Amino acid sequence: MDFFRPDSLAEALAAKAEHADAVPIAGGTDVMVELNFDHRRPAALLDLGRIVELHEHGRQDGKVRIGAAVPYARIIDELGRELPGLAMAARTVGSPQIRNRGSVGGNLGAASPAGDSHPALLAANAEVEIASIRGTRMVPVKDFYTGVKRNVLAPDELITAVHIAPATGAQQFSKVGTRNAMVIAVCAFGLALHPDQKRVGTGLGSAAPTPRPATKAEEFIATELDWESPKPLADSVLRRFGALVAEAASPIDDVRGSAAYRRHALAVLARRTLGWAWSEHLGGGRRACA
Amino acid sequence: MTGLLEPKAIGTDLRRRDGALKVTGAARYAYEAPVDNAAYAHPVQATIGRGRVTSVDTAAAEALDGVIAVLTHENAERLASTEDAELAVLQSGDVAFRGQVIALVVAETSETARHAADLVTVHYDEQEHDCVLDPDGELYKPDKVNPAFETDTAVGDVAGAMASADVTVEQTYTTAMYHNNPLEPHATTALWQPAGDGGDLTLWDSTQGVHPARSTVAEVFGLAEDQVRVVCPYVGGGFGSKGTPHAHVILAAAAARAVPGRPVKLALTRPQMFALAGYRTPTIQRMQLAANRDGVLSAIAIDVVEQTSRIKEFAEQTGVPTRTMYRAPNRRTTHRLAALDVPVPSWMRAPGECPGMFGPEVAMDELAEALGIDPVELRIRNEPEVDPDTGHPFSSRNLVACLREGAARFGWDERDPRPGVRLRDGWLIGTGVASSVYPVHQMPQSTATIRCEDGRYVVEIGAADLGTGTWTTLAQIAADALAVPVADVQVCIGDTAYPMASVAGGSSGMITWGSAVVEAAHAFREKFGDDPADGDEAEGSVSENPMAERYAMYAFGAQFAEAHVNADTGEIRVPRLLGVFAAGRIVNPRTARSQFQGGMTMGLSMALHETSVMDPRFGHVVNHDLAEYHVATNADVADLQAHWLDEHDDKVNPMGVKGIGEIGIVGTAAAVANAVHHATGVRVRDLPITLDKLLPHLP
Ligand SMILES: Cc1cc2nc3c(=O)[nH]c(=O)nc-3n(C[C@H](O)[C@H](O)[C@H](O)COP(=O)(O)OP(=O)(O)OC[C@H]3O[C@@H](n4cnc5c(N)ncnc54)[C@H](O)[C@@H]3O)c2cc1C
Repeated sequence: MDFFRPDSLAEALAAKAEHADAVPIAGGTDVMVELNFDHRRPAALLDLGRIVELHEHGRQDGKVRIGAAVPYARIIDELGRELPGLAMAARTVGSPQIRNRGSVGGNLGAASPAGDSHPALLAANAEVEIASIRGTRMVPVKDFYTGVKRNVLAPDELITAVHIAPATGAQQFSKVGTRNAMVIAVCAFGLALHPDQKRVGTGLGSAAPTPRPATKAEEFIATELDWESPKPLADSVLRRFGALVAEAASPIDDVRGSAAYRRHALAVLARRTLGWAWSEHLGGGRRACA
Repeated sequence: MTGLLEPKAIGTDLRRRDGALKVTGAARYAYEAPVDNAAYAHPVQATIGRGRVTSVDTAAAEALDGVIAVLTHENAERLASTEDAELAVLQSGDVAFRGQVIALVVAETSETARHAADLVTVHYDEQEHDCVLDPDGELYKPDKVNPAFETDTAVGDVAGAMASADVTVEQTYTTAMYHNNPLEPHATTALWQPAGDGGDLTLWDSTQGVHPARSTVAEVFGLAEDQVRVVCPYVGGGFGSKGTPHAHVILAAAAARAVPGRPVKLALTRPQMFALAGYRTPTIQRMQLAANRDGVLSAIAIDVVEQTSRIKEFAEQTGVPTRTMYRAPNRRTTHRLAALDVPVPSWMRAPGECPGMFGPEVAMDELAEALGIDPVELRIRNEPEVDPDTGHPFSSRNLVACLREGAARFGWDERDPRPGVRLRDGWLIGTGVASSVYPVHQMPQSTATIRCEDGRYVVEIGAADLGTGTWTTLAQIAADALAVPVADVQVCIGDTAYPMASVAGGSSGMITWGSAVVEAAHAFREKFGDDPADGDEAEGSVSENPMAERYAMYAFGAQFAEAHVNADTGEIRVPRLLGVFAAGRIVNPRTARSQFQGGMTMGLSMALHETSVMDPRFGHVVNHDLAEYHVATNADVADLQAHWLDEHDDKVNPMGVKGIGEIGIVGTAAAVANAVHHATGVRVRDLPITLDKLLPHLP
């Protein structure tokens, strides 16, 4: 097996163009598991560890730009205020060791329907920055996933960053697992209020072949919420929202949970997180992380 | 017996003497044995549940660069003893369970060995296998249950008492299949040196007993015991799975003998541990309780069904704790086994007591509910004066004191007995209690020597420290037995070069090794007085305790749990666990707390998470890694408290200790299940308690 260690992004992109079968490795928390279990025996690994640009975050055009390899621990510590939803999701990933290594770029590269960053990225309308020697393109995250563990990347492309607008309203993330930490989500839900756009963003995890937004639920709630003079939400509205979120899912039965349970739980998570976020919007102050 | 040792070092919370070595990574474990030029072994495992290997094609593996040898049943050495079928590795092509080792690759690196193992092609004559425990399937009655208890006991007329009682409970409870899963995988480094008198075998093995491991290995290979040395200063956990050598130890030794003079390292992978390192059988427990309106039991019975492997019997003594817990004139315990095409079950922390206090302690809760009597009070009302099993008095029995102390600390008195009525912020809240018990085991043999070196006392004994604290606590015992400061005592353990010590099993270590150390100290003082010269040395051995014939000796405890169940999703949280134990004298509060809390955490894990899922089609555990075999994480454990009573027992041994390694896991799962019932009104009788078992029935 070849092991490439580019020192710059340009070198990395050149290497990827030349060796399309080289598997990028960022934190390695997915890649090393696959190697260890012999699920994958790549011809080459492309180590992204030395590429400074991928390990930085900053502002670009009013948005937060997070380098693909920035680990969750730094997102939690350094970006919790601008991106509360993503930080909440990051807090539920693995253990401290995993959060020190694992990255959003890796989560996107793996594109597992159970990846915890996806619901938060979807709810916040993130865009994925993708580069190759051919150039750079931006893909809205909802168009990024193409199937179970598949994404839009061409063989010569790398994820270089995600771009997310800083939160203008309350955000929430909720995950059901079979224990309290170190757990693959049975289902997860991300929600973001966008008062500036008078809309609510959503994202479902572990509920369909790909992470996806609950579009009908978003449309419904946009018409129900009074942004000018906000009032507490009727229980019937919360329930309808929950039901529409559950409808957006197409879950499966597996060792972690049944499809029926996932639908049930998603409805609960949806009305819970909306209830929390809306009461924060009403002036109840920011709620602690779920 | 004269009075107990006067405690000076005993009872102090001395820091672990091996702590700094471990946290700095300087403590060497079996796989890290300091050897040069090691070769590496990797097993090839059967991919059928039952049948015969018809051919093994090793050509591709052997052709791989760096492969030294591929051992199969066709070319491996013939073992001197194949009596223990689990250890009779590579002796025939028979496959008795999926995952059994059918070949072994030895190579220059572990990666090459693993790669080559994948290149071995095996053809089978496959037979139908049966790996599902079915209480209505074919069962048999074992001659004894682990280690040597009667299989069945019966007094009086349980059926009659059930028919005439005011209130009865008759329910079936099940516990899952569990794997010990110590953090350190099973590992052995083996070196065979053919020179000398017929050769010498050295094993650096992760084991709970160097001497028992040596005896087993010597017998299997037909070697004299003095030809085998087993070294094991540190163990990264065992929980019983390193109490007896499993197949990999024999494989490592056989590989070493195939490459004389060259050390061979073999570490099982986590998935391999699920087939090769023992596990706890699933159990099915049919309970019967009969009582009058006052809650006084007239009958208690448990009928246990569990599994063993077809090739080797292990009969978990699940019914045994029911023999001693509560008074009742009519009693019965039985054990029946299904012999299946499954890996060989073995010891796991508190074999017998751990699963065997689930059914009975939930049944007691059900009885309390049926009678409208507080569950703590119900247990107190059935406290026996003497051991119901033997009729002997207890050397000390403080179950009632544990229940009372625990109730006071936990705030039990304010408890509203009604189930399913406390809803706070969307969470249903409840509390539960269960009793714990563990017998005082003393092993028949262990010897220690004490030698004066540079004015210090060197204690040598082949004892084990599996993270339990032996390095530290034996020094405390030696210090008090010699009446010297603990700083003047050096302890050497974990090597058959030291005097013979029994296995670290049955919570017998402190009792047995400690007694040997006390004997050695007495012999030393008798021979050399208080002012010994350098090099003075004396030896002492544990001897049979005559009191054991006249008294029933047990540690007891009471565990209290608080459970929260989400009314919408069924998620379960256990924010509070509190245990109070009466386990004789506590040698070191720091290491003891770690044992109690570790046991309780493992019990919590058993209650909520752990279950090895056997795929009946293929005969293997599908969730065979720590990503899918869930154990409780830090975030699952919140307020976890272990307390103990000052218990003075001068009958058990000169230190007054009872053993504490296992009792913490006993009863926890029942306390949690009872708390979940109190929270929700839903009675879960099958572990683990998962939300799907609650959700459809929530109020
Ligand atoms: C013990 C454990 C617990 C875990 N718990 C969770 C959890 O709770 N929630 C969760 O979501 N995940 C979890 N994971 C999975 C993993 O940690 C996450 O998916 C993480 O985000 C992966 O990031 P990484 O940087 O380690 O990725 P890597 O392992 O380095 O890469 C992952 C994939 O993305 C590709 N890739 C990486 N970077 C790029 C790039 N810049 N461009 C293109 N492709 C790229 C790789 O080729 C690979 O296919 C866990 C993993 C482990 C081992």
